[in-house]
Amino acid sequence: MWDGGVPLQMVNRDGGKPSRHTEALNVIAGERGADMAQKARLLSVILNSMPLAVFVKDARDEFRFILWNKKNAEITGISEGEALGKTDYDIFQKETADYFREVDKMVMDRGELLDIAEEKVLSPTLGKRFVHTLKLPVSNPELGIDLVVGITEDITEVKAAREELKRLDKELSDKEKLVERFDEKLKQSTDELRSTQLQLIQAEKMESVGRLAAGVAHEVKNPLALLLMGVEYLQGGVEPGDDNVKVILKEMREAIERADRIVRGLVDFSSSRQLDLKPAAINSLLEHSLLLVRHELTRNSIRVEKNFEADLPKVLIDSAKLEQVVVNLYMNAIHAMDDAGRGRLTVRTTSTVLKGGDVEHDEGSRSKEEMHAGDRVVVVEILDDGHGIPEDKVGSLFDPFFTTKPTGKGTGLGLTVVKKIIELHRGSLRIQNRENERGVSVRIVLRTVDERKTGFMEKKAKPDVLRIQRETGLSGREDVTRVMGRRSRRNS
Amino acid sequence: MEEQEKKKIMLVDDEVGFTTLLRMNLEKTGRFEVSIENEAASAIASIRTAKPDLVLLDIVMPGKDGGDILAEMQDDATLSRIPVVMLTALVAREEMSADAVAQSEAMTVLPKPVELEKLMAVIESHLGE
Repeated sequence: MWDGGVPLQMVNRDGGKPSRHTEALNVIAGERGADMAQKARLLSVILNSMPLAVFVKDARDEFRFILWNKKNAEITGISEGEALGKTDYDIFQKETADYFREVDKMVMDRGELLDIAEEKVLSPTLGKRFVHTLKLPVSNPELGIDLVVGITEDITEVKAAREELKRLDKELSDKEKLVERFDEKLKQSTDELRSTQLQLIQAEKMESVGRLAAGVAHEVKNPLALLLMGVEYLQGGVEPGDDNVKVILKEMREAIERADRIVRGLVDFSSSRQLDLKPAAINSLLEHSLLLVRHELTRNSIRVEKNFEADLPKVLIDSAKLEQVVVNLYMNAIHAMDDAGRGRLTVRTTSTVLKGGDVEHDEGSRSKEEMHAGDRVVVVEILDDGHGIPEDKVGSLFDPFFTTKPTGKGTGLGLTVVKKIIELHRGSLRIQNRENERGVSVRIVLRTVDERKTGFMEKKAKPDVLRIQRETGLSGREDVTRVMGRRSRRNS
Repeated sequence: MEEQEKKKIMLVDDEVGFTTLLRMNLEKTGRFEVSIENEAASAIASIRTAKPDLVLLDIVMPGKDGGDILAEMQDDATLSRIPVVMLTALVAREEMSADAVAQSEAMTVLPKPVELEKLMAVIESHLGE
């Protein structure tokens, strides 16, 4: 319990005969004289300047008011003069007075501070207000006093601000939820886009399977023709010691292997819907893909010059998809050379370490970001000596449905898909007319297996954290905050 | 059967295995003497040298089309009378070059794979046997 030994003296405002309550206050003060009157005036000024409503009731005298400051008068609309010496029943409606009396008694009985966090009151002067009230019992047997001290704070504005804050908080969290939902939607759309891209890649592939089918059929029919010749020979009866039989059986076996190879090539080519990255040797992939277009090469009398670097590092690729890329580029080269006569298709592989200048040349911003000088890469080049790309068409190469080929020779999706597939491999692709020579050069840069591993690890870490760590040499959240703090101090 | 009665047949086809086995089959009959040219570019020169009684000509070959070779033969008075049977692994008529199609109106075009019996019948009809 709070000891109420406050030197306080109240003067009867009317200046008349001291009432019971002023006597009580004078007792509390315990001192008399001009000095005391001075102190009392000072306290009165202080109390009346406070932004809190303060009142004191004498529990030994029917809870009559013995103190009533200015703020209290403001809130209640009842002046100090109207309230002093009165009970709640004298100045409030009975219902309200009952409530106050009950609370006061409880406070005195318990001897504890009561905190009424929020009460709605209707002030005749201010209208509807919200208040926070503390009621504390002040007893001092020595002085013979039992008082209820009330302190009331008008929290209407605070409450409004608090509610506004709550509302804003909710709004914010609603917006956060909205952002989350958008995020989810975005992720979903990205997934859908990716799946659509894979479908597009697959659709383009099936289209080129169709275009390749005739050539592949031709490639299969030749070994079939040989097999039939072998069967005919053997069926016609064989003399003992006929040396041809050995040759025939060997040729037939080779023909079966050749037919199998070409059919399997087409099946592999048309399979695999998802992106399935595995370490692979690019040279043999380039070689296999040539088999699929062999017929077109033969038909157009195109010579193939293979210039493969031996012992290339493996690349992490989806072989079926990269084969699609290569076949597509071969077919483009062949079509570009079909009216040129005696064309030459050059396929070249090299391994190299990227230099700063190499990175700049690459098409596509994403590839540029992820390719770094110093990366070990494999470069595939496919060169033709055909009619080249008309200058005004260079910019449209990767546009969907853009084609210079006659109807039936291409969908116009070929290079769009080629670029997409190379992007999925985080490689780079450049197509341009050859310098000082006829024809087109295509350059594909693919990461080697080890480089790719490093690339994935970097991607997992949060780039901003990495950047901050790199720039400051610090790590962790605390350190980041400290950095910010220092900056704000410098600014101030 | 006497040696000089054998008819000379020339195979022009880039498929080495196929020509080898076809020659074996034709020679097994004992009625033909077969020569082979696997390089389309050398075909005309080889035909001039060998002077065959009949040419079996593939259509799709690297360097030179069977149709081109046929046209050259027909432009050459010494070769234009040699009967030609065309062999092709092409699937559809539309796939043949315009030249080859025009020629094939008058020629016999046999699709690969071809039955020996059918091939023999065509060869014999061209040789007037």
